[in-house]
Amino acid sequence: MAALASAGRPSSGPPPMLAPSRCRPDGGLRGEMADIDVEGLVKRYGAVVAVDGLTFAVEKGEVFGMLGPNGAGKTTTLEIIEGLRTPDAGSVHVLGTDVLAHPSTVKERIGVQLQATALPEFTRVREAVELFGALYRRSRPTAEVMEEFNLEEKAEAYTTDLSGGQMQRLSIALALINDPDLVFLDEPTTGLDPQARLNIWTVIEGIRKRGKTVVLTTHYMEEAERLCDRVAVIDRGRIVALDTPPHLIAQHAVGTTIEFEPVLGLDPQSLRSVLGVERVVADGRVSITTRNPEALLHALLDPTAPWASTGDAADGEREGAIRDLMVRHGTLEDVFLSLTGRSLRE
Amino acid sequence: MKAFRALTLNRVRASVRDRTALIFTLGLAVLFMVIFGLLFGGNGLSVSLDAVNNDNTAVSASYLKALGGVNGVTVHSTSHSTAFADLKDDSVAAVLVIPKGFGSAVLGQGPPQQVAIYQAAGGSSSSAIADAVVANVTARTAGLGHLNVTLGTPQSADVNQVTEMDYMLPSMIAYIILFSGVNYVAIGLVEMRVKQILRRFRATPVRSGTILSAQVVGGGLTVLLQIVVLVALGIWVFGAKNYGSWLLLIPPIVLGTAAFVGIGFLITSISRTSESARALAAMVTFPLMFLSGLFFPMSSLPAVVQTIARILPLAWASDALHQVMNDAAGFSAITTDCLVMLAWAVVTISIATWRFRWD
Repeated sequence: MAALASAGRPSSGPPPMLAPSRCRPDGGLRGEMADIDVEGLVKRYGAVVAVDGLTFAVEKGEVFGMLGPNGAGKTTTLEIIEGLRTPDAGSVHVLGTDVLAHPSTVKERIGVQLQATALPEFTRVREAVELFGALYRRSRPTAEVMEEFNLEEKAEAYTTDLSGGQMQRLSIALALINDPDLVFLDEPTTGLDPQARLNIWTVIEGIRKRGKTVVLTTHYMEEAERLCDRVAVIDRGRIVALDTPPHLIAQHAVGTTIEFEPVLGLDPQSLRSVLGVERVVADGRVSITTRNPEALLHALLDPTAPWASTGDAADGEREGAIRDLMVRHGTLEDVFLSLTGRSLRE
Repeated sequence: MKAFRALTLNRVRASVRDRTALIFTLGLAVLFMVIFGLLFGGNGLSVSLDAVNNDNTAVSASYLKALGGVNGVTVHSTSHSTAFADLKDDSVAAVLVIPKGFGSAVLGQGPPQQVAIYQAAGGSSSSAIADAVVANVTARTAGLGHLNVTLGTPQSADVNQVTEMDYMLPSMIAYIILFSGVNYVAIGLVEMRVKQILRRFRATPVRSGTILSAQVVGGGLTVLLQIVVLVALGIWVFGAKNYGSWLLLIPPIVLGTAAFVGIGFLITSISRTSESARALAAMVTFPLMFLSGLFFPMSSLPAVVQTIARILPLAWASDALHQVMNDAAGFSAITTDCLVMLAWAVVTISIATWRFRWD
């Protein structure tokens, strides 16, 4: 399947029309090279196709998210771009350099945080920062990096004794030790408690403010919505959608979902004809997704409808179609559900 | 070069801080020396004998008293059955049986008699010592009288100037070479692979060869450091002596380390998990430890076992180290040892590099 790519710069404005055709990565920038340009990427493991013809571009200065469930091919894609794996087909250019031909040139200019990286045993935090600094031709001073990432207090602790959040901060600090133009963060907040996750989000927003391009993978839609300028939704090695989070939600999450307990006389399927209704799921509880919640509510509350209340109005109680009503706005979770028919987390 | 130095330093520092691994290498080597020191060290030797006195005269009593008067020799008079039970459970080195008529024989009043001496089959160094002591005292006792008393078939006591500690020190150097090579390189590298530490290093511009060689060289340096500590302890604490040249110890130590680091590296290349690396390492190290002359000379092993052990590099390392330290051998005596170890190092490291998997 050909991937969708947004033609323009990331924006968080109201959803304009999508450009469904694939665009050259420099299309929106008039000649300026994209930071990452991936074309027709394929990676197989035996009979399993992990990456199935990915094509996309990441522009300078944006936070680009890759959203998908475990095993979707996010990490494999990332590791090919980072020069850690060789694809079976396709080309990858990073910062204008062909990764497959010149991996060390690229590695010198990018920062990488691997998914669940461990560091060498019996190594103190300060020593780890110094060690990784020595692996690049040019690197930032250890003290400066330690201060920026709030690691001074733990400087003499073994890395294995850090908490999950501290370890992720160190891991991100190590990814930035060479002052890279482009940073890859593979599931930076997986397994963290909410407090630590917020902390890492602030760190990532700080990286972005310094003008660095960030590529991150996640399976938390709230993370993608908060941090990413654009999100590629990946499923089974393919990009099923690529756009800004608001565009994606507007396009695929189809506005609003109204849920309620059904009452006698209501045939939920009959509500399909109501203006704006996209999807009706009646599985005990009724869940109706609509672009026009007002019209749906109006229909539900219609006093002439067969399911309208017949009770005594004087006692103040009203039996109606909308008992236990809930209204939800669309999220990337709904985008994923609508695109793949499956939930993001299992 | 900056990257290689930093990676090597990190490897050595981490290895030295890893107490558990240290216990299994330097720690156990020192413990073995302590145990052997307690067994054989101290104020000279001590030998216990049981005597079955069938004579019961003043002469036989003073004969036993003379024996017991020798420094380090203890003699107990006991029954025949107790004496042989003691011999069986190794609480005495030998059993003496004094025949009836011993007293009269010494005094020239009866027919000649022979004192019987029994030892456990095979014999040990302490039973050889018992022989010598008993022979000496018996001869002197006989000299008092009419030369009518002799000691039956004395065992030859193989006297070696090299003490147990002198023998143990080169053995323990070989032991550290054996265990550190596989501990610090095989298991260390597999764990770095499983935990994705190698992958993280590869995400930096450092060349793959630099990452690997830093791990291997770092492991080797850790081994050398431990050997320096062990030799210092052996000489100054345990009183071992090096009869040969210190300089000549360098080739067998460096080449032996290279051979075992190579074997460790090879184990890394063929094991997927750290559990299988551990199992393989144990399969290589434990038999080698016993077959390669670390705790007793290889000449005491059956010929077939010797032949097998001769193929493996530890025997050569052990031989070279013992030759230099115990027999003050020159380089010509250890040239073959060194060449075999070099061959092992080159072959294992080449195959391991060729077959190495990054994930």
